[in-house]
Amino acid sequence: MRKVSLLLPAFLFLLSFCSQPQQDLNEVKVRLAKEPETLSPVNFADAEAIQILNLLFQSLLVVDLAEDKLKPALALSLPQITRQDSVTLYAFEVREDARWTDGSPVTADDVAFTLKVLKAPLLNNERNKPQVEFIRDIRLDTTNPRKFVLICSGYAPEMELLTGDFFILPSYLLDPEGLLETIQVASLNEGLSELENNQNLKAFADKFNAINFKTDNTYLRGSSGYLLESYAPSQHLVLQRKQDWWGNKQEFSHLSASPERISFHIIPDNTTALLALKNRQLDVLENIPAAEFNQLKTDKEFTSDFALYTPDAYEFTYIGLNSRLPKFADRRTRQAIAYLLDVESMIKVSQQNYATPTASVIPPTLKEFYNTSLDSRAYNLAQAESLLKAAGWVREQNGWYKSINGEKTQLTIDVIYRAGNTNFENAALVFQQSAAKAGIPVTLQAMETSLLSQKSKAHEFDMFFRSLTGNPFVFNFKALFHTSFADLGGLNYTGFGNQQSDKLLDAINAAEAPAEKARLLKELQAMLHQEATFIPLYYQKERIAVHKRFSNTKISGLSPNYDVSSFTLKN
Amino acid sequence: MLQYILKRFLLSLPALWLLVTLVFLLSRLLTGTPGAEQILQENGGYYSKGSAAGREQAYKSYLERTGQNLPLFYFSVKASPEPDTLHLVYPESHRAFLKKLYWQYGNAQLVNQYYASIRSLEHALSPTQESEARLYFDILYRTTSPESINLAIAQLPQLNFGNTTHTNELRAAAALLLENQQAFAYLVPFWRWHGSNNQYHIWFTNVLQGNLGVSLRDGRPVSTILYGAVANTWWHILISIVLAFAISFKLGMLLVMPQSIKLRKVVLPTLFIIDSIPLFLLALLLLVLLATPSFLQLFPVYGMGYYIAAGGTWLQRLSIYAQYMALPVVCLVLGNIPYLTSLIYRSFSEESKKDYARTAKAKGMSPRQVIRTQLLRNTLLPAITVLSETLPALVAGAVIVETIFAIPGMGRLMVEAVLARDYPVIIAVVMLVAAFRAVSYLLADVCYSLADPRIKHAAS
Amino acid sequence: MIQLRKDLMQLWHQQLTFKIAASYIGILLLLIVALPILPVTYSPNELDLQHTFAKPFTSGSGAPHWLGTDVLGRDVWVNILYGARSAFLISFPVMLFSTGLGLVLGISAGYFGNTGLKVSRAAIGVILLALLCIAYYGLYLPLSLVETGLPLKYTWYSLLVLLVLLLLLYKVALPLLKKWRFAATRFNLPLDYLVLRLTEAFTSVPRLLLILALVSFLQPSVLLLSGIFAATFWTSTARLARAETLKIKQLPYFEAAHSLGARRMRLLTKHALPNMLGPIIVTFTFSIAGLLALESTLSFLGIGVPGTFVSWGRTIAGIRSNTAAWWLVVFPGAALATTVWALQTISYHLLNHFESKR
Repeated sequence: MRKVSLLLPAFLFLLSFCSQPQQDLNEVKVRLAKEPETLSPVNFADAEAIQILNLLFQSLLVVDLAEDKLKPALALSLPQITRQDSVTLYAFEVREDARWTDGSPVTADDVAFTLKVLKAPLLNNERNKPQVEFIRDIRLDTTNPRKFVLICSGYAPEMELLTGDFFILPSYLLDPEGLLETIQVASLNEGLSELENNQNLKAFADKFNAINFKTDNTYLRGSSGYLLESYAPSQHLVLQRKQDWWGNKQEFSHLSASPERISFHIIPDNTTALLALKNRQLDVLENIPAAEFNQLKTDKEFTSDFALYTPDAYEFTYIGLNSRLPKFADRRTRQAIAYLLDVESMIKVSQQNYATPTASVIPPTLKEFYNTSLDSRAYNLAQAESLLKAAGWVREQNGWYKSINGEKTQLTIDVIYRAGNTNFENAALVFQQSAAKAGIPVTLQAMETSLLSQKSKAHEFDMFFRSLTGNPFVFNFKALFHTSFADLGGLNYTGFGNQQSDKLLDAINAAEAPAEKARLLKELQAMLHQEATFIPLYYQKERIAVHKRFSNTKISGLSPNYDVSSFTLKN
Repeated sequence: MLQYILKRFLLSLPALWLLVTLVFLLSRLLTGTPGAEQILQENGGYYSKGSAAGREQAYKSYLERTGQNLPLFYFSVKASPEPDTLHLVYPESHRAFLKKLYWQYGNAQLVNQYYASIRSLEHALSPTQESEARLYFDILYRTTSPESINLAIAQLPQLNFGNTTHTNELRAAAALLLENQQAFAYLVPFWRWHGSNNQYHIWFTNVLQGNLGVSLRDGRPVSTILYGAVANTWWHILISIVLAFAISFKLGMLLVMPQSIKLRKVVLPTLFIIDSIPLFLLALLLLVLLATPSFLQLFPVYGMGYYIAAGGTWLQRLSIYAQYMALPVVCLVLGNIPYLTSLIYRSFSEESKKDYARTAKAKGMSPRQVIRTQLLRNTLLPAITVLSETLPALVAGAVIVETIFAIPGMGRLMVEAVLARDYPVIIAVVMLVAAFRAVSYLLADVCYSLADPRIKHAAS
Repeated sequence: MIQLRKDLMQLWHQQLTFKIAASYIGILLLLIVALPILPVTYSPNELDLQHTFAKPFTSGSGAPHWLGTDVLGRDVWVNILYGARSAFLISFPVMLFSTGLGLVLGISAGYFGNTGLKVSRAAIGVILLALLCIAYYGLYLPLSLVETGLPLKYTWYSLLVLLVLLLLLYKVALPLLKKWRFAATRFNLPLDYLVLRLTEAFTSVPRLLLILALVSFLQPSVLLLSGIFAATFWTSTARLARAETLKIKQLPYFEAAHSLGARRMRLLTKHALPNMLGPIIVTFTFSIAGLLALESTLSFLGIGVPGTFVSWGRTIAGIRSNTAAWWLVVFPGAALATTVWALQTISYHLLNHFESKR
């Protein structure tokens, strides 16, 4: 028995030194923190799914991460826009060379089919359906099978982006019987009840909903340069480059399929992922904890193999104050609170200085639109106290008091934030300490996501920490700041806005000349700054490591922060 | 014997059914519904995707398609003023307001009338009026006490809405509501019968036919998902259980020997200390020590062998498996050894004080022989009980190890399912663990009666 | 009591490790009690933002940080002291409560078995009705009222109704029912079976998962967490107590005492309890150790414990954001390990002592 018990570990130990198979150099190994819930191109839910789907399917337009600009992908060029009274027309043409996996051409019919799948009832499409709600109809060109016009209701600046933002599906693969051919896109807009009994649609729905859009690769075949080779749920998925992809013959750098294989590895824990990177089990890692990133920088052995990047992201952290509450009704009270936000310390503790403080919702890196004249409101206790006094608060022994509606009220702040988010928690703790110095008692409450959104929607909060992701091409702040979104359940949680700001928001959306747009945006920023209900704190920097054997990584502040399809092996 | 096993098995079924039913009902108490966040997504930000109404419509059709709009159980008991349709009210944020009104005024009909009149007044406004009256409606949708409703209604004329039919309607509805307040109606429970068209019935009949349903996250069959998770962690669990028991027995035997007093003084405190280290720390420590280039790079960091698919002989494949399994298994073993060892040691030392052991010793057997021939059999009994308890806990309880080493097992599946409110998966996992437990209890019973014929059939 | 003190004194003099362990726990308890008057330079939640991730023995903005600071500049030494307080404040009440519950359930299950307790059908009916009333008026209504945020008086009404109903059930319904022959028939309550099934049900869902599930939708709070702990930790004590009672019941002296007419309660407390003290102390200490580790695990996962709650686990979990900050693990980890070791050692010696006396 003793011998056996000695032999067994020895045997295992020996085994562990057996040789590992040779790694393929032209393979990129990427970490995913979370498994994509589904890879359905019409019902995806997360950024992970978008990143992978972009390698399998294509949309009409795509963001080129090398320049952070919108470029045509399946479309030949950006759409021609015609504005009519209540509708806007977007005219597209599909590239002539564009081919599906089986070699057949991509046509306008495929676009129409995709819209039907996205908009039809009974199908697994609820997550992406609202996104194309504004596209009312498609008009196919009778002379050219690749030309079509999308008819959209109303006009908003982001529509150009959104009309090209859905993955085009192959109708030959998903609907070989042509079950959806008889259904018109326009009929899918309202009053869907009669369509729910449509036999063709029912038959299609039964087939479509039964497709396993996760591990089954027979239907996950689009016009992009990769095919899903294997998928081990919750472990890894591997994409293989198509042998003879049409895009490789094009001269565009934003249509690429360079690595032979791309594998995504699901590793939930941050520390594990970091160790895996150090172990060369991964080639790309994003979201590296700030303190660790600092150490990696000084690690000679590591930096000889990996390049480190810190692009400016478009995600910012902000606080919202509920201006509907009587205690926050006076703008000076809110400004006083803004002076108590020690942004510098917050950045230091949660981002180790990998962030840029901001005074407005526009990223400071976009010099064209950022209003530089705004005072950045550094932490200033005296200023805060004088503002509070001006707003009618009286300092007593244990806090600030004011008579509101005949009742003596103390100024207290209840801060809510998403449970499990250490950045918010640390920032909130910093605020708690600096507010305590000013004599304002602050309580912190971490909340589960659904509860948090419930509270924000019902306007039952004093103050919250949140973050928001934007982009450098479209600035439509209507949902955030317009008063029509300020009712219960609307996205304007803080209650910002009046008629003047509403007009300004509409004017921003209508403005076409960049100079005019910049002027109006700066005006909006000044107004937001003055009102201090929605107080942006800082714009984050991403922290990414990429193996040095790759070039042309297209590191960008926009998600997914790099274009894995363009990674090219250095010689 | 077979009859006895069958009887025990049948007896454990009602308990299993009860547990699963309870979990089914209790899991619905979780706030939030699956898919709600993604469909009703909030991060509007720089540009909005779809209108709020469109999103709500999509969400409703999602609930309908997945059968989540049906009543939960055959019957429901609620305070009498609260109607059964509250969970179907949209926008969702109005539900709290309505619920408060129902409970406070006790008359669902009048409350609905009041609510409808507010809604129709709001819809009748022109956009400019709406932006002016925004704050007013915000207050209206939150005031529930009689005094504040009166106060709010009194402000109506000042707002100058132009169209008086709606304002008059609202005023009348409010007056009616306040006059007919039944403040104590909530004290009376109300029983509603929903019939067999409910979520539980549908789910249960499906389960009886062997269909566990589909996951609400990716639409794959729950049985497939479950099978994948079990298959992934099966070997980890089995190997670590066997190893932990083997080591604990060996240690227990060593410790009980009279000559190992010194060993005891070292080993026991060490075990206590290992026991006090949280598992996550142990795992991280092992990773940092044994899987980094900066210290000792012996093992891969995560996963279950990515290159295995590439082929090779069985020995090669086994060796790769072994590398990936080593650290998680060591972690699980270390986590379980202290408790097991001290238990086994204790039961050894208790048995060794008993008469038969003394007799054996008196006969001139060496301590080692005494343990081998006499004590082992008797200490096996408590060990069996412990085994039947640890095994199911391990199946699902290895969450931390699974998270850190990125192994997609049952524990992680359960946690992710809970966080995503993926009910079919939650219930299936609990059902599997409970069934596993029932079977292991049964096995323990059988082992008992095999090991000690005196206990036969006395257990039940 | 005097006997116990004598035993302890004897142990103290004979066993060196016991002496060390006991003095460690004693000093720790003393420190915890004296915390408010100790000259501690920082408060546990005070952020020294100029000195984040400070190494041990570096100066701070006030006093030096002897054992370093964490990501927010919170002093590790002060957090260890206050963390000890939190650990004991949570674990002792929880363990006392759950041990008590486990003892009551386990002993009664073992003592009465499946045939020992006779109840009339009327009593069962009334108890079931009472439980339903408690569920509606004592749980559902107050919880819903809290959720809707209606004035407190509504809750008081509901509790008042509950009280009246319970009184009515006990004073009116029970005597009335007993007049009916069918209802007055007494039958055996399978208490043992019920308790066993209950423990099985509680243990079939792994504890960590149960906590994860509960905590993920309730507000993180220390009270809630203690409640969950108390509700899940009693099963092992119950099973032990049941087994011990069964064993004791068969001993000749117990039967002799029973036949002499000694009362049940007295028998149980006088004879059964002291005998099972040993094993129960062991589970008690093991559970405290487990609880401390579990609490830090939850802090590590970042669920269930509010961020302002001072604990060893919180400090240890800080290692996640900076794996180079070894002092965040070593010092609180040592405190945790030593405490657990001390508790285990004490229980080990106590157990040995009791056993040798038996």
